[in-house]
Amino acid sequence: MSEMQGNGAPGGAYRAPQGSAPRNLVKLRGIRKTFWRGKEPVEVLKNLDLDVPEGSFEALMGPSGSGKSTLLNLIAGLDRPTGGTLEVENHDLTKFSEGDLARWRSQTIGFIFQAYNLMPVLTALQNVELPLLLTKLSGPERKKRAQTALRVVGLEERMHHFPRQLSGGQEQRVAIARAIVNDPKIIVADEPTGDLDRKSADEVLNLLTKLNREFGKTIFMVTHDPQAAERATITHRLDKGALL
Amino acid sequence: MTLLGVATRNLLRNKFRTLATITGVAIAVFFFMMLRTALAAWTAGADHAAKDRVVTRNKVTLILPLPLRYVEEIRQVPGVKESTYLTFFAGKDPKHSKDEEFFATMAVDHKTFLHVYDDLVVDKAAQERWFEDRRGVIVGDVLAKNFGWKVGQRINLTGTIYPGDWEFTISGIYTVKTKSIDRRSFFFRWDYLNDSLPPRRRDLVGWVVSRVDDAPRSAAIGQAIDRTLDVQETQTLSQSERAFSTSFLSMLSSVLKAMDVVSLVMLAIMMLILGNTIAMGVRERTNEYGVLRAIGFLPRHIVALVVGEATVTGLLGGLVGASLFYLAAKGVMGRFIEENFGQFFPSFDVTPGIATAALTLSVVLGLLAGLVPAYGTFKLNIVQALRRVG
Repeated sequence: MSEMQGNGAPGGAYRAPQGSAPRNLVKLRGIRKTFWRGKEPVEVLKNLDLDVPEGSFEALMGPSGSGKSTLLNLIAGLDRPTGGTLEVENHDLTKFSEGDLARWRSQTIGFIFQAYNLMPVLTALQNVELPLLLTKLSGPERKKRAQTALRVVGLEERMHHFPRQLSGGQEQRVAIARAIVNDPKIIVADEPTGDLDRKSADEVLNLLTKLNREFGKTIFMVTHDPQAAERATITHRLDKGALL
Repeated sequence: MTLLGVATRNLLRNKFRTLATITGVAIAVFFFMMLRTALAAWTAGADHAAKDRVVTRNKVTLILPLPLRYVEEIRQVPGVKESTYLTFFAGKDPKHSKDEEFFATMAVDHKTFLHVYDDLVVDKAAQERWFEDRRGVIVGDVLAKNFGWKVGQRINLTGTIYPGDWEFTISGIYTVKTKSIDRRSFFFRWDYLNDSLPPRRRDLVGWVVSRVDDAPRSAAIGQAIDRTLDVQETQTLSQSERAFSTSFLSMLSSVLKAMDVVSLVMLAIMMLILGNTIAMGVRERTNEYGVLRAIGFLPRHIVALVVGEATVTGLLGGLVGASLFYLAAKGVMGRFIEENFGQFFPSFDVTPGIATAALTLSVVLGLLAGLVPAYGTFKLNIVQALRRVG
């Protein structure tokens, strides 16, 4: 996977920086998020602090409505907090314009969704190539990188298949290939095994573990699945908008 | 793969819906082109009018005649090479009296008519027969074909402006060199008409047509004709043949305007069909657009996807509609219209201008149809879009 080098590791396994504690890639301080239901405010996240070190694999668990996805969306730059500071990779995301935030997401974040969210009219290869349309890479270069990403997830043989021709587990692996094709620092996964049977879920979790250990990707995963959370190095629990 | 490629791929999601939309657009474009071609064919006479012919008519109205002696005075005006005269007869063949079988019947001066209208082709023998036979008539090739008329055949017409039964013999059949002359006309000798009328209705002509020696000066020569005859009891109005044809058409202006409006309404309907389809697709794909925005695509990229899809649909519908109309106009439909409605549409043919306009409008209206749904995606909230299913 020469095109995807993680934290600078030259094509081999990821090695954490020696001699010092890993830096915090994500730093949240006093984060609040309030939604409005008509005139009534609903405080979803309450004065929340969180650090996510570079190269970690973290899981976030909690009951429905506890604010897990909201927190994930804030870290991924999809939403803005009502208050507090939100730093990712030393960038204060609250100060970014919408355009800057979109560009930052395309370079820094890889997304994995519960329902895979592949475009049904595109092949696996084209789905993986999609984020690269935003880069200056040439067509052949884009294709080569998409093939590499598919090789990493073990689906190179299926690159010309459409999503409807793949199993759920395979679709999620294509989605993972799409998430890593831009070589992002952070992968955010929202219930990545929620729609999968145990066997497929294990395959996906193995893949995430591989991305974390071998390629140094920082993974932040929201899950209800205790077995999925076991794969993480740290598990956070969120309840009623506060970390326990 | 490009963004336009993705937009085009989106057309394959719901093949039936896409096919139905393209068919709708194609039908609208087909009828738009049909109406536009009909309009163009209707005014073709004016468009192909000879530039060196000046028509002189009664200043008050085309219906009122001019004295025969004006013809000689017009011939004396400097710049006039030759003049001839015509009178509208409005005869009907009792055997062919249906509305769609109408044909123009005109009494013309046989000695000068073919000099001024040299775009009519009549063979020498036919001309000689016409000169020898006071009841002789030359008829257009399409009219002769439609009614099965042959040279030498006797024809009886019933006069409407000039009542009675009128007997003619076909001296010859004409063809044309330009599209300015209807191939379904019936030209007989003016002297036959004049000699048959009571004295008070004699020596009057419908209008005078002159050939001038310098086409760019035809307007000035026309004004000189009018000045010359201004002192007479009946004033004249001289116009280029094109202006004359156009003024004749202006009597039908409401019909032409209606056709014009209907052709545009067809395209407006097309835009609404297309806009509705695209809006449905956008609603169904909100979640996908949310994903695209999440992975870094900007609002303008999503707008480009939506507008691109609408534009490609418009173009495909336009191409199908234009191709079908081209085949129909060049084939059975075109022949049928020319042979049966030749008095209105002497040449029913697709012009490059109409085809270009139809395709351009398909693309532009497709683009416009995509703008409203695209505006909705511009304001898309990513988090809400990601929560939407299906």
